[in-house]
Amino acid sequence: MLRSYLAAALACAAGLALTSHAQAGPVFDEVVSCGKLVCLVSPSAPGFSVPDSSGVFQGFNADFCRMAAAAILGDASKADIRGIGFSDSLKSLVSRQAHIASRSVTETGTRSADPGLAFVATTFYDGQGFMVPKALGVKSATELKGATICAEDGSTTLLNIADWFAAHGFEYKVENIADKTARLQAFFAGKCDAYASDMTALAADRRLAKNPDDYELLPEIISAEPLTLVAQPDETLEKAMRWAFQIMLNADELGINSTNVDAAIADLDKQPKAVQRLFAKDGATADMAAKMKLPADWAYQVIKQVGSYGEVFDRHLGPETPFKLKREGSQNASASKGGLMYAYPIR
Amino acid sequence: MDRKLPPPHAAHDGPPKTGPAVSLSDIGVGLAILAAFALVAFNVHSNMTAAGIQPGFGFLTQQAGFDLSETLVPYGASDSYLRAILAGLANTIAVALASLVIACIAGLLLGLLSVSTAPLARFFALAYVELFRNLPKILVLLVIFIAAVNGLPAIRQALVLGPFTISNRAIYLPWLSDDPRNTTLLLASLVLVPAFIWLWAGRAARRQALTGRRLPVLPVAFALFIVVPGVLATALQAPLGLSWPTLEGFSVEGGIALSIQFCTVAVALGLYHGAQIAEVLRGGIEAVPSGQIEAAAALGLRSGQTTRLVVVPQVLRTVVPPLNNQFANLLKNTSISIAVGYSDLMSVAGTAINQTFRPLETMLITMSIYLLLCLVLTGVLNHWSARIRAREGRDGR
Repeated sequence: MLRSYLAAALACAAGLALTSHAQAGPVFDEVVSCGKLVCLVSPSAPGFSVPDSSGVFQGFNADFCRMAAAAILGDASKADIRGIGFSDSLKSLVSRQAHIASRSVTETGTRSADPGLAFVATTFYDGQGFMVPKALGVKSATELKGATICAEDGSTTLLNIADWFAAHGFEYKVENIADKTARLQAFFAGKCDAYASDMTALAADRRLAKNPDDYELLPEIISAEPLTLVAQPDETLEKAMRWAFQIMLNADELGINSTNVDAAIADLDKQPKAVQRLFAKDGATADMAAKMKLPADWAYQVIKQVGSYGEVFDRHLGPETPFKLKREGSQNASASKGGLMYAYPIR
Repeated sequence: MDRKLPPPHAAHDGPPKTGPAVSLSDIGVGLAILAAFALVAFNVHSNMTAAGIQPGFGFLTQQAGFDLSETLVPYGASDSYLRAILAGLANTIAVALASLVIACIAGLLLGLLSVSTAPLARFFALAYVELFRNLPKILVLLVIFIAAVNGLPAIRQALVLGPFTISNRAIYLPWLSDDPRNTTLLLASLVLVPAFIWLWAGRAARRQALTGRRLPVLPVAFALFIVVPGVLATALQAPLGLSWPTLEGFSVEGGIALSIQFCTVAVALGLYHGAQIAEVLRGGIEAVPSGQIEAAAALGLRSGQTTRLVVVPQVLRTVVPPLNNQFANLLKNTSISIAVGYSDLMSVAGTAINQTFRPLETMLITMSIYLLLCLVLTGVLNHWSARIRAREGRDGR
């Protein structure tokens, strides 16, 4: 008994798959038997994953680690969130040192083709966008005809801008400045009408302005950077993560979040059918839990402990945060509002 | 005094050896260098082949896909990499010429101040030289750029000073209206006026050598500046209308624009190399023995004549080789343009490398272009200094 416990502990510590206990997928079983989910995030990405004063990672990406732990283990705090550099994180997954990674990895064809990685669900559609001074009175990138754009010299940004303006048949001028300070100063001083970079970088750079409120990000995204959750390939684990994410999207569509979920459940009979299917004891999620070997109340735990997609977005990146990212009008809006966050039916 | 004596064997040095032009050790060194190059080339080639990269220059004709902040030659994102590199080269040459002019003017003024008899002027020159000599030029450039973009008005509040429209985006000037005949007129004048002046000056020099009489050179040069474009304009029936810069939508249209990055790079390098040129000139002036000036005075030459006929020829002789070096440095230093967004050769090459993953080929091209530019520049200057020396020798006899 002691020996097998010791072996299990050692195996957990080493991150090895306990194939002898296999009931579902080996990685999934390892997470359950160890009682913890090792999740890799970026060591310092403001808004996405930054350690707080007690060394616990907080942020948009860190919350998807908690989502997986809440769904599989019923306890968000069982996510063992570790900060690690980009290329090391993918290597760690391939070499089975971690279970999942939630760290702004762009899913691309060649990465997805790697047999050691499974891309599960896109949590954030990033991509190149534009920041403008509010005084410019521009509300959409389609009004940037003839504008001067500041962008990093030598980057793919320059090509995306050229493609986008050519596709729209607009004249424009580019200021391709290599030095970041010079580039931002040029933009803040009005030398350029707009500043182009990845949306998340724009949100961080805006904070460097003397008065960040004088600037806003335009909703259009002109290049594709789907930031996706990655797992060690394991069908059971992938399914659990994919549907936990769908629970968050469905709750978002239905207006259920961590603060009102208890009230909704107390009054479940009066709720719409879709809400009942999410949280009822004999609802669709309970049926899914039995088949996917998840805790029976996994959907409730995900929403209660982590929140809906919109709640997590707003908590870390939304208008109340220094980043002031707007979901509405962006690709991260729900599909019903013209975005790409498409809630699949849970039934 | 404590002046060092020459080493004893120096006195026994005979005339230069008159052995074979190439010794055995020369051949050995040459072979070793060739072998080293061959080894590097072989290694690079085999490693690239192993990595599945086929070295080649075919990418030059592919579409570049990125735009440049400003170009002198027509260029757009749908043009080839080769054209992008040529546009970058033209930008490099333009900014090098502009900073060369600024550096020469600043250097001449400061050089004269530094040998002035007024202590305040000497102090100013010294302070300036020490300041710019001891600061990294990239820092000077960034400070000037950030001061310019923050200090100058934004495009919608652009300052209109007579013909100038000044904003932190560019300085706009009225220019000949956009018409192919106007362009032809401008380019033809740029070539023909200096050519005619050169021919006339040569003729004047020959006439003076033969007859001792001077033909007017300066008035004729001024006249040529007016007559040649005038005749050309009539012949081409150029419309000659001026296009004035006006604010339209997001930007200023019409006229020509000197972008702020062009101006700041030209000014930064001009001021930086101005300090160095001033030092070179000071050295050259101080190297003229005071006895020469006293002798000129004893011969009855006036102060102006002493400067023109005695000091300047000797100064030129000593300063041309170090100036040559300064000019080559200035040309290469234009590569700091990349920091503030002036699309020079280095900037274009960097973007091309990032997009094509052809670092080796692109760097080879870039290096060859810089090398060629510097060789042409130093070649011209060496030719000029050789002529000065030759004249000096002939006049001295």
